[in-house]
Amino acid sequence: MSPQTRARAIELITNPPPGSKLAAAKEYGVDLTLLVENLELSVTERIRKLSSVATFLEKMREAGRKLR
Amino acid sequence: MVAADFEKILTLFEEARVEFVVIGGVAMVAHGSAQATFDLDLCYRRSQENIERLCLALAPYHPALRNAPKNLPFRFDGSTVKNDLNFTLSTDLGDLDLLGEVAGLGFYEEVVEFSQTGEVSGKQCRILSLEGLIRAKRAAGRPRDLAALPELEALIELREKLAEN
Repeated sequence: MSPQTRARAIELITNPPPGSKLAAAKEYGVDLTLLVENLELSVTERIRKLSSVATFLEKMREAGRKLR
Repeated sequence: MVAADFEKILTLFEEARVEFVVIGGVAMVAHGSAQATFDLDLCYRRSQENIERLCLALAPYHPALRNAPKNLPFRFDGSTVKNDLNFTLSTDLGDLDLLGEVAGLGFYEEVVEFSQTGEVSGKQCRILSLEGLIRAKRAAGRPRDLAALPELEALIELREKLAEN
């Protein structure tokens, strides 16, 4: 993502046009900053990040099971 | 504890020339979604050759039915896959859901029409488009599917607005 595109993305998520899908998502509780962060990554990087998060969450789930 | 090595499964299938489309949470993430998921959902082509390639590629990673009793006999081979449609599997590489048909879209031949190519570790993978994901989520209609719609619609709009520049 070029610096200009990034700046435009930040502008769009900070002040989404009224009535837009971005405004609706923000209102719904979607963290739009995470979307821009992800769009700066390649598809491979996004999937690697997900694998890492899923593995971590699975470890936390297992730890939670042991607490019960 | 099983690691979720989505990248490895995708490259494994690409190398084995398995015909599939990435759907579900991993497809959402491939498009930039911030949702987390524990399993990889794939829609596979139900031709005999493709089923054989799929079973052969997955065999070294001990596919087993997820959440089934340990003593339940299960053999993941061409005949098993041909006689059923959808499989929720655990493997040494992580949980894998194989779907022969996707709600709102259809079988592989229809699903692939709603897909686009994305590069994963240097391999070209078919990934369900944002529009296809929205269609499938609407058709599935469960609260968690419908909850994903605002983010998916925002991603489409963001992509379109950034492309205008």
